[in-house]
Amino acid sequence: MAIADEEQLVRSSRKGDLDAFNTLVQAYQRQVYNLCLRMLSPATAEDAAQEAFITAYRRLDSFRGGNFRAWLLRIAANICCDELRRHRSRPAASLDAALEAGSPADVPSGQAGPEEEALRRELGRHLQQGLATLPSEQRLAIILRDIHGLSYEELTEALGCSLGTVKSRIARGRARMREYLMARRELLPGQFRHKE
Amino acid sequence: MLGVLGRFRHRRFRRDLSAYVDDMLSERARRRLEAHLDSCEACRQELAELRLTVDALGSLPMAEAPRSFTLAAAPVAEARPRPAARRLEFGLRLATATAAFALTVVIIGDFAGLPGGGEEEEWVRGELYSSTQMTPAALEAAPAETPAANETPAADETPAAEETPPVLEAAPTETPAADETPAAEGTPAAPEAAPVETPGAAGITGTYGFSNVEPEPTVGAGVSEEGEAEEKALKGAEVEEEAGAGAAEAQAVAQEEGGGLSQEEVVRWLEIGLGAGVGVLVVLWAFARLQRNIGNRP
Repeated sequence: MAIADEEQLVRSSRKGDLDAFNTLVQAYQRQVYNLCLRMLSPATAEDAAQEAFITAYRRLDSFRGGNFRAWLLRIAANICCDELRRHRSRPAASLDAALEAGSPADVPSGQAGPEEEALRRELGRHLQQGLATLPSEQRLAIILRDIHGLSYEELTEALGCSLGTVKSRIARGRARMREYLMARRELLPGQFRHKE
Repeated sequence: MLGVLGRFRHRRFRRDLSAYVDDMLSERARRRLEAHLDSCEACRQELAELRLTVDALGSLPMAEAPRSFTLAAAPVAEARPRPAARRLEFGLRLATATAAFALTVVIIGDFAGLPGGGEEEEWVRGELYSSTQMTPAALEAAPAETPAANETPAADETPAAEETPPVLEAAPTETPAADETPAAEGTPAAPEAAPVETPGAAGITGTYGFSNVEPEPTVGAGVSEEGEAEEKALKGAEVEEEAGAGAAEAQAVAQEEGGGLSQEEVVRWLEIGLGAGVGVLVVLWAFARLQRNIGNRP
């Protein structure tokens, strides 16, 4: 979507144009839903994504321009963190969610052969499990950076912290993910098993 | 020594590997790291593994949204009070808590009377005189050292001398040495105490007891207790605001979407109204008490 369109849509949405807002929803719903899915379980991700858009609509006045995607993802991220705090008593929820059918790791690529597909799914499952072991702020940073591909600048907006903090969270999160995967290298595709 | 330094530098370089993968290092830091990588097999290995991890994360597929999240109807706009209004609301809610507590203390102490509280009040008065009235008395005594001995018998005539044993009983024992300057501190206190204490004993004692001793700690405790709760609520509100959304908010959305005032809203306004009303009453009461006290003074 062109940025000029987006600004116009945000302006119209602020004036109460629901169609304009729904156009924005359609443009970003996949990203918002996937963030919720990686942070929470598939069962709660849907509700969290819906809540994010309702909240975004009601808070449009607080959007001070800049990157709308980062602003929207920040709202979704905070809803996810609230949800995680609510369910802190059962931290295994995310781990279980990673193994549930319909987890994003199970989305078929449609190109690879059956063996490669199986290994890819295995890797996806391990990645999701590894993510679930990270502290929520590191997980959020890793998901937004490495899966959603946000720039560091967008990350400072989406996470609401300084560039230094963003770098540090990503570095620590990645280091832990590396350790997690390397401890299971025998179960992963070939490139993880060969030492350089 | 060199080994420790080497390890320290190695650890620092390891920390930079993530930013290096994203090309987020400064030119200088990047060149330094690359020079280190040329000589450090462990860091090269770690960098390769880190790249694999990042690539693997990047290869994770994005799931399709299970349904459309478009909104069928515009959610009711959020009625978020402005910061000043929130502060006022916080103040009024705090006032409710404080006023309610103060009112309870006043009602119990003033109208029902403090059962068995008499002794305590007397003791309190004794304490007060010993600590506050002594000093001006001592100052008065300073220019006239000798009359102190003559004045001491007056202390025996005042009922206060008997009522406040811990402080005032000490007065006669000090009188033999009343000619000496330091002892003068104790003796003039008795005659000073007498006139203040006797006139409005019945009327004043209650308020003295409360205004000087009771409310400070008790109301303070009440405030801190309620204050904590309020602070938590306020912090919660701030966190929610920062977060962009909160748990209570989701419920509020649901309730507000249903239309009309939510129960929470009604309670909030009731609380604010009650706070303002009770606050005004307490201020009026305190003012009236103050007027009476001034009127009762000799």
